[in-house]
Amino acid sequence: MEVFGLWLAAFFTLGIISFLYKDNPWYKFSEAVFIGISAGYWFVVSFWDNLYAKFYLGVTANDDYMLFVGAVLGAMMILRLAPNIGWISRWPLAFVVGAISGFYLMNYFSSNVMKQVQNSVIPLFSADYGQSMFTESFGTIAGKIVIAAGTFTGLIYFFFSKEHKGAFGGAAKVGIWVIMITFGASFGYTVMSRMSLLIGRMDFLFGQWLGMIK
Amino acid sequence: MDCTGKSQKYTYIAILTLFLSLLLIISSANAVNSEVLVEDTTSAFIPNAPTYVTATDYKYDRGESAIVKWQLSSDDNSTGKITGYEIFRSEADADNFVSIGVVLPGENSFRDKSTENGVSYIYGVVTLYNGRTSQMVLSEPITPGTEIVNWNLLNLFIIGLLIAGSVIFFITHAKRGKKLFIRKIAGLEAIDEAIGRATEMGRPILFIPGINDMDDVQTIAGITLLGRVAKVVADYDIKINMPVARSIVMTVGRETIKEAYVSAGRPDAYSDDMVHYITDEQFGYVAAVDGIMVREKPATCFYLGAFFAESLILAETGNSVGAIQIAGTAMPAQLPFFVAACDYTLIGEELFAASAYLSNEPKQLGSLKGQDVGKFMAMMAIALGVFGATIAEAWGGSFFIWLDEFMHRLFTITN
Amino acid sequence: MKKQVPLTITFIVGVVLILSVFFPPVETWGEDFSLFFDIIAVFAFFLGGGNLIRVHTERIAKKKKDWGFSIITILGFLIMLAAGLFKLWNPGDISADVAATGSLFQLLYDWMFNPLGATMYSLLAFYVASASYRAFRAKNRDATILLIAAFIILLGRTPLGMYATGWIPESFSVLQIPNLAIWVMTSPNLAGQRAIMIGIALGVVAMSLRLILGVERTYLGMDID
Repeated sequence: MEVFGLWLAAFFTLGIISFLYKDNPWYKFSEAVFIGISAGYWFVVSFWDNLYAKFYLGVTANDDYMLFVGAVLGAMMILRLAPNIGWISRWPLAFVVGAISGFYLMNYFSSNVMKQVQNSVIPLFSADYGQSMFTESFGTIAGKIVIAAGTFTGLIYFFFSKEHKGAFGGAAKVGIWVIMITFGASFGYTVMSRMSLLIGRMDFLFGQWLGMIK
Repeated sequence: MDCTGKSQKYTYIAILTLFLSLLLIISSANAVNSEVLVEDTTSAFIPNAPTYVTATDYKYDRGESAIVKWQLSSDDNSTGKITGYEIFRSEADADNFVSIGVVLPGENSFRDKSTENGVSYIYGVVTLYNGRTSQMVLSEPITPGTEIVNWNLLNLFIIGLLIAGSVIFFITHAKRGKKLFIRKIAGLEAIDEAIGRATEMGRPILFIPGINDMDDVQTIAGITLLGRVAKVVADYDIKINMPVARSIVMTVGRETIKEAYVSAGRPDAYSDDMVHYITDEQFGYVAAVDGIMVREKPATCFYLGAFFAESLILAETGNSVGAIQIAGTAMPAQLPFFVAACDYTLIGEELFAASAYLSNEPKQLGSLKGQDVGKFMAMMAIALGVFGATIAEAWGGSFFIWLDEFMHRLFTITN
Repeated sequence: MKKQVPLTITFIVGVVLILSVFFPPVETWGEDFSLFFDIIAVFAFFLGGGNLIRVHTERIAKKKKDWGFSIITILGFLIMLAAGLFKLWNPGDISADVAATGSLFQLLYDWMFNPLGATMYSLLAFYVASASYRAFRAKNRDATILLIAAFIILLGRTPLGMYATGWIPESFSVLQIPNLAIWVMTSPNLAGQRAIMIGIALGVVAMSLRLILGVERTYLGMDID
């Protein structure tokens, strides 16, 4: 059984990799299996984790009758299938959008604005009276200046209601350069981790399946 | 390929072996030290108890927390004599103390996050040393309660009100006929051109609203853009294909595209098959979309919403079929890949501004101005804070020290 | 009514959830909502699953291109459903864990789901190489800056970086590739990340307010003009 499973896994692995050459029946078959199996998987997980564990047990074991709100909204969503009363499906949608908007407004504001501004308020350098002008290395001070100036100019780049001309335009240009450095750094940082994913599959094919790597 | 994989694999094995060897050496050194510690327990040392144990209600919650404080044991003097403190709790009218936590030496407070609102508790703290404990010192009974308003978040409320207030102000005071300047966003200006290209080539449009459900604000942003895009698609009478990874998104997408066709005066041209569900699985969805791309060869691909690792796979496959690609996401980790692989990319905030930008309505454009006011406030706060902190750190001065502390307190959220 | 009720619901729910943050007795309403959403999503799953079956059944019935693969998709979906809902081959009974060892659900996951997903993920190695090739042709100043930053970080994470710049004297050690990579990650990269994150948050605030106030209605299929 184990050997059968191994060969099946290798079959599908090679089927997906074959897409790199071109679309072919092997890839189509693997894709079809993947779609069917994965859709079924997530339905089953959703059924047992949400409908059974959260809703059914929540109501029967914990007497949490508020969960019926979710069930009613879910049922209203399915009413979309009925042509005459399909408009009722907008109500749960409105509920979801309103809740998400309200929830994320405060969430993003506190974590991405308040926290980021708080972390940005740092001294650029410190001095030690009678000893030396700066107590930190040049690299550290330069780094702090770059952080402060980079954040400032990056925000200038995102201004919508002012034309990027003159000094403002110059600052916006510096801002997009900082953002490009950010993107380049992210790009370079993830290249190695992407390679390790391929190493993992190669290890499976040549190690576990073919036994060429021990 | 396999040689590279082999040599890299051997490199990893070598590094792992080295690491394990080091671990072995360090742990045998510790074993020697721990033998010394073991010898120490043969003596009958009992640590001194902490003193002045107090318990107070943790403010601004629903009665779920209490703070226990104590003065350190006299044996807690960083000579390794004690190993920590253990905190116990009992309901005030029962004598059933149970352990609720352990802290390290030097710590003199503990937050109990499992109290019940309105129930009285007594706390006890003991000093620990190698399985031996001191006498337990008890606190007075306390009853955690609920506060109606969380005054710790007053700064969040005020700053939020200022920024939200500016957005609402510009929305409500937007005047018809008064042209508000909004800078050009290349990706949004290219939408008409991209859809026109699809019309000329007779190939469909592919719209991907991200991989997340409607409980992600980026998906909502993508769907609001879908409405604008679908209107142009309906006007140009070309096919739009929108495979989705979530059932609710499928429902919303159908509603949006249908209304776009109705408002374009072409309700008969709409079909529910334009929006179809694939699978919730991230890479199963990507496999299917890749297949759609190479088989249908869309002229234009829109990626607008929340994406994860699949962003690069989608963008590269779109590139390989020669499609114009317009992407937009607020996932900072995926933006570099979209920037590298797509023709136009809406960077973060631009995704949320896109629908307002395309609508050209004064009220919606007014909200963009309000956004800018928020950015201006953030910039001024940073500038003021950095200035005050730098002067305070470098040269002192009571005003600057106050300014530095004030700016830190203003943007600190205490919970 | 058909238009006003949803807009009113959005407004009330949005305002309540914004304010709930400041009032401890109701501060968990946001988490309660995510529970409701999970339940709504399960009901919606019936729509999605039904659509999946309908689309592929139609392909089979009308013998459209590649209709044979639609049979595979439907079979895979139904087999996985049966395996999970009825806990087929499960060593325990119906109350046992759905993914118990030896169950058909677990076997299908290990033999098919996992390898397929892992292989799709691993394709990123090829795609990142092709994206790098295209991006690193550096057609303009912005692309050049992206290229240089990526190159520094990439080299900084390999021994080659130290080998190439180890000769730089200690007083200029920040110019050694590994140190330069660390400096880039902790300074300009951090600045750009902060600017993007603050911008995103303000964008979310503005868009959320537009949705709550009913200025933005396209998600309800309204006012698309």
